[in-house]
Amino acid sequence: MDFLRKGMSRVEKGLFEIYRAPKLRNPALIVGWQTQDVGKLSSNILRFLNEKLGGQEIAEIKPVGFFPLGGAVFRDNLIQVPESKFWACEKNDLLIFRSEEPRYEWYKFLTTVLDFAEHYCHIKELYTISGTPSLAAHTTPRRILAVYNQPEFQKIIQGYGLEDMTWEGPPAISSYLLWAAERRDIPGLSLWPEIPFYLAAGEDAMATKLTLSFLNRRFSLGLDLGELDLEVRNQNEKIAQLRRENAEINTYINRLESGLSLNEEEQVKLAREVYELLEKRG
Amino acid sequence: MGIRLLKEPELEKPDLICGWPGIGNIGLIAIDTLRRVLKAEEFGEIEPWDFFYPGKVSIRDGLLKDLEFPTNKFYYKSLEKRDLLFFIGEKQPTEGERMYATGEKAYHMANLVLDVAEKFGCQRVYTSGACVSPIHHTVKPRVISVLSSEKLTKEVIRYQNTILMSEMEGREGEGVITGLNGLLLAVAKKRGLESICLMGEIPDWLSGSPFPYPMASKSVLEGFADILGVSIDFRILDSMVAQIEEIIERLYEGFPPEIKERYDQRKLVAQAKPAGITEEDAKWIKEHINGFFKKGDEQGGERPI
Repeated sequence: MDFLRKGMSRVEKGLFEIYRAPKLRNPALIVGWQTQDVGKLSSNILRFLNEKLGGQEIAEIKPVGFFPLGGAVFRDNLIQVPESKFWACEKNDLLIFRSEEPRYEWYKFLTTVLDFAEHYCHIKELYTISGTPSLAAHTTPRRILAVYNQPEFQKIIQGYGLEDMTWEGPPAISSYLLWAAERRDIPGLSLWPEIPFYLAAGEDAMATKLTLSFLNRRFSLGLDLGELDLEVRNQNEKIAQLRRENAEINTYINRLESGLSLNEEEQVKLAREVYELLEKRG
Repeated sequence: MGIRLLKEPELEKPDLICGWPGIGNIGLIAIDTLRRVLKAEEFGEIEPWDFFYPGKVSIRDGLLKDLEFPTNKFYYKSLEKRDLLFFIGEKQPTEGERMYATGEKAYHMANLVLDVAEKFGCQRVYTSGACVSPIHHTVKPRVISVLSSEKLTKEVIRYQNTILMSEMEGREGEGVITGLNGLLLAVAKKRGLESICLMGEIPDWLSGSPFPYPMASKSVLEGFADILGVSIDFRILDSMVAQIEEIIERLYEGFPPEIKERYDQRKLVAQAKPAGITEEDAKWIKEHINGFFKKGDEQGGERPI
């Protein structure tokens, strides 16, 4: 393959299947995980980007060794296949990777992601997208919390309105990928948009729009996000209607808007009512 | 999968002493205490990422500062009469949901440890662990040994409070040493190295406990002091021993009087089987003690970042 550059001796080529050679220059890699996708944020963002930017499937990481293959999982009557795919948005010089979190061998899996992205596509930057549940009400402005793997990169991204995160605890796969990228001197940023906990099981159009706005600006994509405004308005109107009809739910959201907390039972009730409203009644 | 050596000390036929977590962390506590007492110096590690998942991420002011993995470190110490290598692993590499090392990764790690040991001329390997035994918790745990060859027998039975597995009541010298504390011995034997496992006894009803059993670690440590001809102030483990004894005593006080009476017969003699208590007694202890242990397993539910 003529697009292959030096350093391939380290790459385990048997771990991925390449459909076609991408025509990318020095793209940014955008990664989203389908497992525990809070507010379906990364699914929606990657789908939107692929649709609007004409993303083409170019390769996949084979599931063997990373996912259980003793049978097939089905959800809502549909067979689920573990997929770990790369798309190239050649015009905008973006590489997109969407996958379930592997069940086994995280390090090897993440190494494989970076091997492909670095050696076949020559990426210059890494971005991961994952929603994080928040106790704020849906009517309060969303924040995007940010984690960088290099201070120089952090300086470059200043001015985009992201908020620096401080946290200690078990690492998510995005943090692990960020760390692995740093070891290769690839600058990386994990985006953690906040999603009100009662929208976490469904979708959060506002967080989706906010994140896409950042990407739109960062990569000068020229995306029209008007259709998302409509979704945000619809979602807000539905919840407003629920508040008018259900005094208890209204009280809960009022309390969140005032910066007060809810107990576990109240949180579950609010989340269930909103999920029923948005996901089941449509 | 790599080994990273910070320096290459000049050593003469060092013995390798290895410790991994296991039942009651008996071996790990004994060997890590020995390492600390002898002030052994760190000189290398096995890179952890191929074997383990990171346990913690530290993010400060938006910067990913660190990803912490279980450590797997090498240490060395030159004593007057012999040189020593230590390997201390914070965790055993597992595959699937198992608690102790199995499979390809465990085998690979065992070989990496021995690669380093042989590089420095090692000819003998020690590991340590637990021997689950029908003893009373107030009885001083013995050290049970398993060897790579019969010629080591004469030497080992000279060690303080140490017997061969075959001398243990009802065992007939057969059994399995689970995890890397066992596998390493097998791989060492395959490579033609002498290998010895020193296991501290732990009462059967405490073998699933979430807390350590330092009383047995102390017995193993005494054995190592004997082997190496070093004097150790064993009071170093006393505060841990006192804490754990207090916990165990509280559990023991909760035994129904009839079970306690039968269990106390274990004070008189080390038993081959859980004699002194009936099967029903053992069941009661297991159910009630396991209930206590589970409380310690609860973890927070924070979402990882």
